[in-house]
Amino acid sequence: MRTYILRRLFFLTFVLLGVSVIMFSLLMTFSPERRAMVYVTTPQQAKDIPSLIKRYGFDQPFYKQYGRWAKEVASGNFGYSLVASRPVSEAFWIYFPVSLELALYAAPCIIIFGIWMGTRAGRHRNSGFDHFSRVFSIIGWSLPTFLFALVLLMVFYGYTNWFPPGILSDESSLYIIEHPEKFVRYTGLYSIDGILNGNLSIALDSLRHLVLPVITLTVVVCAILMRVMRSGMIEEMSKDYVTTARAKGVDENTILIKHARRNALIPVITVAGTLVALLMEGSVAVEIIFNRQGIGWWLATSAIQLDMPVLMAICLFMGVVFVSVNLIVDILYAVIDPRIRLD
Amino acid sequence: MNKLLEIKDLVTNFYTYEGVVKAINQVSLEIEKDIVFGLVGESGCGKSVTARSVMRIIQPPGVIEGGEIHFYNDKNDGEKSVDLLQQDEQFMQKLRGSSISMIFQEPNLALNPVLSIGYQIAESFLFHQKQNMSQAVLKDLQNNEYRILPLLRGFLIWCYAKSLEADKSGSLNLINKIPLLKNWDYLLHAEAKKRSLVILEKLGIANVERIFDAYPHNLSGGMKQRIVIALALACHPVLLIADEATSNLDVTVQAQILELLIELKKDTISSIILITHDLGIVAETCDRAGVMYAGNVCEVADVNELFNNPRHPYTKALLNSVPKFTQKDKLETIPGFVPNLVTPPSGCRFHPRCPECFDLCKTRTPVLQDIKQRHQVACHLYD
Amino acid sequence: MATQHPALKEFKYTLHRIFKNPTAILGFTLLLFFITVAVMAPYLAPPKYEHNPYKVPHTGFSSIPQPPSAEHPFGTTSGQYDIYYAAVWGTRTSFKIGLFVVSIALLIGVTLGTIAGYYGGLVDEAIMRCVDAFYAIPFLVLAMTIVVAFGRGLDVIMIAIASVAWRNYVRVMRASILTIRDLDYVNAAKLMGVSDFRIMIRHILPNSIFPVMVVASMEIGAYVLIAAFLAFLGLGAPRGYADWGQMIALARNYIVGPPDDPFLYWYTIAIPGGCIVLFVLAWNLIGDALRDAFDPKLRRE
Repeated sequence: MRTYILRRLFFLTFVLLGVSVIMFSLLMTFSPERRAMVYVTTPQQAKDIPSLIKRYGFDQPFYKQYGRWAKEVASGNFGYSLVASRPVSEAFWIYFPVSLELALYAAPCIIIFGIWMGTRAGRHRNSGFDHFSRVFSIIGWSLPTFLFALVLLMVFYGYTNWFPPGILSDESSLYIIEHPEKFVRYTGLYSIDGILNGNLSIALDSLRHLVLPVITLTVVVCAILMRVMRSGMIEEMSKDYVTTARAKGVDENTILIKHARRNALIPVITVAGTLVALLMEGSVAVEIIFNRQGIGWWLATSAIQLDMPVLMAICLFMGVVFVSVNLIVDILYAVIDPRIRLD
Repeated sequence: MNKLLEIKDLVTNFYTYEGVVKAINQVSLEIEKDIVFGLVGESGCGKSVTARSVMRIIQPPGVIEGGEIHFYNDKNDGEKSVDLLQQDEQFMQKLRGSSISMIFQEPNLALNPVLSIGYQIAESFLFHQKQNMSQAVLKDLQNNEYRILPLLRGFLIWCYAKSLEADKSGSLNLINKIPLLKNWDYLLHAEAKKRSLVILEKLGIANVERIFDAYPHNLSGGMKQRIVIALALACHPVLLIADEATSNLDVTVQAQILELLIELKKDTISSIILITHDLGIVAETCDRAGVMYAGNVCEVADVNELFNNPRHPYTKALLNSVPKFTQKDKLETIPGFVPNLVTPPSGCRFHPRCPECFDLCKTRTPVLQDIKQRHQVACHLYD
Repeated sequence: MATQHPALKEFKYTLHRIFKNPTAILGFTLLLFFITVAVMAPYLAPPKYEHNPYKVPHTGFSSIPQPPSAEHPFGTTSGQYDIYYAAVWGTRTSFKIGLFVVSIALLIGVTLGTIAGYYGGLVDEAIMRCVDAFYAIPFLVLAMTIVVAFGRGLDVIMIAIASVAWRNYVRVMRASILTIRDLDYVNAAKLMGVSDFRIMIRHILPNSIFPVMVVASMEIGAYVLIAAFLAFLGLGAPRGYADWGQMIALARNYIVGPPDDPFLYWYTIAIPGGCIVLFVLAWNLIGDALRDAFDPKLRRE
């Protein structure tokens, strides 16, 4: 088991390396002036491009430039973000908690809802529920995330004003600014910070602003999860060991949950990486539409301004997330499927 | 009264895209107690479908459409029977695995790869012998077995007594939801494990403790088939159906498994239905045999009688086609092909290939009739 | 009973499997509808600017959208761009995007996948590691990065999406090839001395292309969605181009109308949005039906 994990770790470092190479190759397509912007960390440095070009040696061969860039990245220097008006590495910690909060609430909804729906649909194939779930899945997959978010906003904010966009209401934001001693920023997640500070109204306000974004993400990601779960269940229910269990007198429900579902979860875990990627993609649209300043919002806003350093940094970050998710997935495999453990 | 299972005019159809497959066409069989009954026939003749219809594990698009299946298992009154086709699913679930068990052809796929062997065997006990085991555990608890604190003992006694009283108890449901307390049935699991180890030993498996914790992929094919048999015999069924249970095994392992089955029949099971296409196995291990062709039973007789005095043309042809050691010329075959069961031949389904076919055969389906004591044939030659 | 040629019978059975789903029929109908609109675009919405039919005519510069009227059947959006015109010519844009991306991606993906699958060993490892690096970043994010690297524009979007989309086909093709490569008839051809290239083209490719086609049909929808979002952000064609995503971007400030009538400007979002959803739905339904039809496990009921 230990060698298995070590092997996966080794492989995944390779992937990170590959990602950095891709990013750097994109960078190399620019003119030297544009490239210099990647190394800038203060507005003053931005004014002195020619000396930067000389200092960083943009006339040197590819691998030397890559080495220099990799060194910068390794020491935490990712350049300067126009949107945030501060270095990328600093700006990251402002935006990351917002996205984390969204993901934290969306993930359990997605998992519970998707697995439940998929199991139920796979059990009664071609029943009313199955057809409904397939319709749900197809429409969820065909909807542009940003359009769905817009429509939700239109109905549940424009028409009814139940769930406004943004992270906090104006009152809450003002309160936090005016009373810094009463509201300490422990984690950056307002729903949790609110509770930690004993301020329930802020926590609830934050949750209220989370409802629509979480619903949007859940619908979009569940569409896929549910479908994979369903096809997994259908396949498992037609396998021989299910017949054996039936012949033993086990009731259908137990067969479904204790026997078939465990096996059906294996292909679901396989697509866990894809689902996380979908979550990250979806949060770009969700954060822009609902005006939540998270990593996705940062990405899109920087893209509109053609701010390359930010995009590269975010790509690297997402590469790291992907690699971590894959590692967790590999460990989960070993936990669920005893056949893998002997590796 | 010696009957154990009586199948009368069973009809099972499969509704597929290509049409309705009339897999079983009014099959009638009688299985007595304490015998090994062989069900022979080519692939696709309906032997498996018959067996699964008896167990009622036919999945859609298959539907059992007619007939009666009488199961004589009443210990008090040997005459009384239940019609299995009239019972509800709950009754059948209690029956499967405890009164009638079935083992299948492919041992490599028959076990759930993500659950341990022990879990899968214990599951049978937990499903069928829960009352029994609860009583045993309760008695042990009351006799001060197990080294546990008095408080815990009291609590456990209360739990087990409660579970014996009513099927669905509100308070037990509540306890089952509380994290630590819901493990009150760990003693049940221990008892199930004990019984599983017993049955595993009975099957001649060594290192039962290790096997209990192992997973299916750790074992060989023959070993897996033994586990499958252990699963089937765990709760002492009265009838065991072996659906081509040895077809996928090496010949030596095949012999071992068959011997094991006969051995176990002596003290645990009453009768075995052995479904196979191998006439050699029938000759060696069965007492009585039935021959099926294209969803019909052609001939039923005691094995000696069947092999020495076959009456039905199909049986005769089948026995002829077995290569003999002294044979010097061409191998015998049956001309033609197995019919398409969506559009089966009219009348007797064997008539297109029968060397003794005449006009009546093409229009009327023959019915099983006695031509001798304990020898029945479905053929117009013997009307 | 008449015996049909087995290939014909299988083909008819496959058609039956595809159309057994009422959704497949819906999908094909929708697609047919969109194809008709795209082909008939010059007649349905005569272009105002002869040299560039994709430029949406705008009568005036007012930023307040106007509701549907006789002159503008679907109304106008912010900047007085005619929504009907944009919807019709946007169909052509979407087809352009979808088909371009899928062809380039298939070309690259299938070639690389075949090479990796057939030759195996070091070549296989090298190619698959490259693909893994491309997989590490979400589709949208990588496409966005490429667009930002090369500047705005519709063609940049198409190239960017194609540059990411090929990654899926390599894997599917390779898996397909691995299954077929060791089958006996391929070994037989090798023994007969047939060249590698011929084997790949004549034996392996025709049999392994089906899963790839299924994946492709399912993915076209995703490409159009991503292109729409990128256009919505403003990374696509210049303002006033006939593109559904752009139309929604123009309506950004008018999602919610005045307090007494919040749905006042519904048509600015509903119509281009509806076009996107239906278009992507059509491709997804077809892809779904194809997948169900070709999945061997679901084949024989």
